[in-house]
Amino acid sequence: MSSDLTTEDTVYVTYIAAAPEQVWRALTESQFTARYFFGRSVESDWKQGSKWLLRMPDGREDIVGVVRECDPPRRLVLTWNIAWAPGQFPECVVTYDIEQAFDGVVRLTMTEAHPTPIAKGLLEGGRKGWPMILSGLKSLLETGNALNVPTPMPPKELQP
Amino acid sequence: MSTSQFIYVTYIRTTPQKLWDALTNPEFQKQYWFGMHQESEWKAGSPWKLLFSDGRVADAGEVLESDPPRRLVLSWQNQFKPELTAEGHARCVYDIEADGDVVRLTITHSIDREGAKLIEAVSGGWPRILSSLKSLLETGTPIPSSHQGAGA
Repeated sequence: MSSDLTTEDTVYVTYIAAAPEQVWRALTESQFTARYFFGRSVESDWKQGSKWLLRMPDGREDIVGVVRECDPPRRLVLTWNIAWAPGQFPECVVTYDIEQAFDGVVRLTMTEAHPTPIAKGLLEGGRKGWPMILSGLKSLLETGNALNVPTPMPPKELQP
Repeated sequence: MSTSQFIYVTYIRTTPQKLWDALTNPEFQKQYWFGMHQESEWKAGSPWKLLFSDGRVADAGEVLESDPPRRLVLSWQNQFKPELTAEGHARCVYDIEADGDVVRLTITHSIDREGAKLIEAVSGGWPRILSSLKSLLETGTPIPSSHQGAGA
């Protein structure tokens, strides 16, 4: 493997004062994702093998993939492709694990895996974005308000 | 040189000064840090220690840089698990940056050795501590803790 390619995971863990079912809804319903996921609306029937997508506020598809595993409210595994650059970048796999950490508290673990090696520079988008997204999800569930974090620009090779 | 490093970023609806106070005030720390607290004058060169609720020292070191409310750098050596103490001093950097009504807090905990057990241990603790700190600053209530003293 060339030294500028990697299969390294990006992992982010956060603890949220909420029930597992609330975290599940926040991940799978557009009324929530539109408020913390850079304005993106999630769409799917959430059946294994179904298509899922994230739609940009202007209506274009941003991220598309297939629901690989769906075990509400515990585990959701999604393939992840950039809709406006089909075939240009290797598919990644995003897993959300929701566990009851202790009474009234959920541990949410997001793992972005790269079964096909990708350029290290392309990891940066996720490493910057996930803390913003999941900090916003936590605030939304705990306070009723997401965070007003500006949408970061993707690396220039990744702009629509 | 090979290093072990853990980085965690969280965004909190607060001000840099309130976050700085929450990071350096022992009474505030006890609410979100597994009941533990820290003692220091928070000036460059000051000693620093992290204490369990029963008074035992968990970790200790020195303040290497202090630039309130923006940046705090600590040297950090475990004091209660011999195999971690033997790894020597790690470095813990807090970076605080404001962006509108949100503050980005970045923790970078690193040590100059490969596969350090200290970094593995703190990697489990930081997400809990910082999730609880975020909840405390945003809602007034920390994340409830099932037990205390899970730090490293």
